[in-house]
Amino acid sequence: MIGRNPKATLLRVVIWAVACLVVFRLLLLPVRVDGISMLPTYRDHSVNLVNRLAYLWHEPRRGDIVAIRFSHFETNGLGGLEQVASRLEPPHVMLLKRIVGLPGETVAFLDGRVVINGEPLDEPYEDAQKFPCDWNRAPVTLGPGEYLVVGDNRSMPQEDHTFGECERNRIVGKALL
Amino acid sequence: MKITLRLVLLIAVIAAGVWLWTVLFPGPEKIIRQRLAQVADSASFSPGENPLLTAARAERLGDFFSTNVEVRLDVPGHGQQVFSGRDEIVQTAAAVRSVIPGGLKVGLTDVTVAVAADQQSATADVTVKTQAAGEKDFNAQEVKFTLQKIAGDWLITRVETVRSLS
Repeated sequence: MIGRNPKATLLRVVIWAVACLVVFRLLLLPVRVDGISMLPTYRDHSVNLVNRLAYLWHEPRRGDIVAIRFSHFETNGLGGLEQVASRLEPPHVMLLKRIVGLPGETVAFLDGRVVINGEPLDEPYEDAQKFPCDWNRAPVTLGPGEYLVVGDNRSMPQEDHTFGECERNRIVGKALL
Repeated sequence: MKITLRLVLLIAVIAAGVWLWTVLFPGPEKIIRQRLAQVADSASFSPGENPLLTAARAERLGDFFSTNVEVRLDVPGHGQQVFSGRDEIVQTAAAVRSVIPGGLKVGLTDVTVAVAADQQSATADVTVKTQAAGEKDFNAQEVKFTLQKIAGDWLITRVETVRSLS
């Protein structure tokens, strides 16, 4: 089990442990979905991974399912090393939502349909038969670095569903699965 | 070899010294984090708690707040609630214990502390997780604490809920 060369085996174990630590703590965050707001795409208590490198080369896109940092993140008062450490430290609680509105766009809900700059948005991932939606929300123009995020389950009452404008710096990464 | 060993020992001693220094003389951020953890611990309770212990823990919770503390809660589904003063906090904590007899677990995660330059005031952005006994899921709420150093103690002077998505 240990092999002919215990030192080499030990080294391999250490390398694998470090690799797992780096990958699953810094790059791909394992998350468990709690709640029904992302039905039917994600079931309650399903497991997923959040890719923290997804937006390294491009900004978030419409339709992306993103993990959003729950609590405000302020690093202005921290020193250089502390700031880096804080940025690397993954949040423990995140919201998982779909991006429907991009910076600068005017987004509204009209009788359950998302309307972007006056045009209804085509959302193939929405199942209107099983999850009918009757939401209405006045048009909101998103500021620079602001995204409108919402869950896929819009059959639940609007006031019980956490959705709205989200700052870019709260987006932790993109759901991988 | 001897030099290497001495160097390693020196580094270990320095590291241990730095660690000991931070334990013995914690900075304001560490103290605030410890206090917030104690707040969460005092706010949590288990079923069938002794009434005397309940009163003592509620009283202990009050010790973390200034006398003129203001708590503004706006939780979806529960409306807006405002509590003023330490006494009201203690009364509310005791009342919550009777309303949720099964017990409540309160946890604070993703704590970000910003201490003012004068080291006399600070804010802490926190995700508060609550889970009533028997419930599968927890509730999460972003909360901002404002603290001030009063008579050498970091006391909470304001608590307000923050909407993560506006």
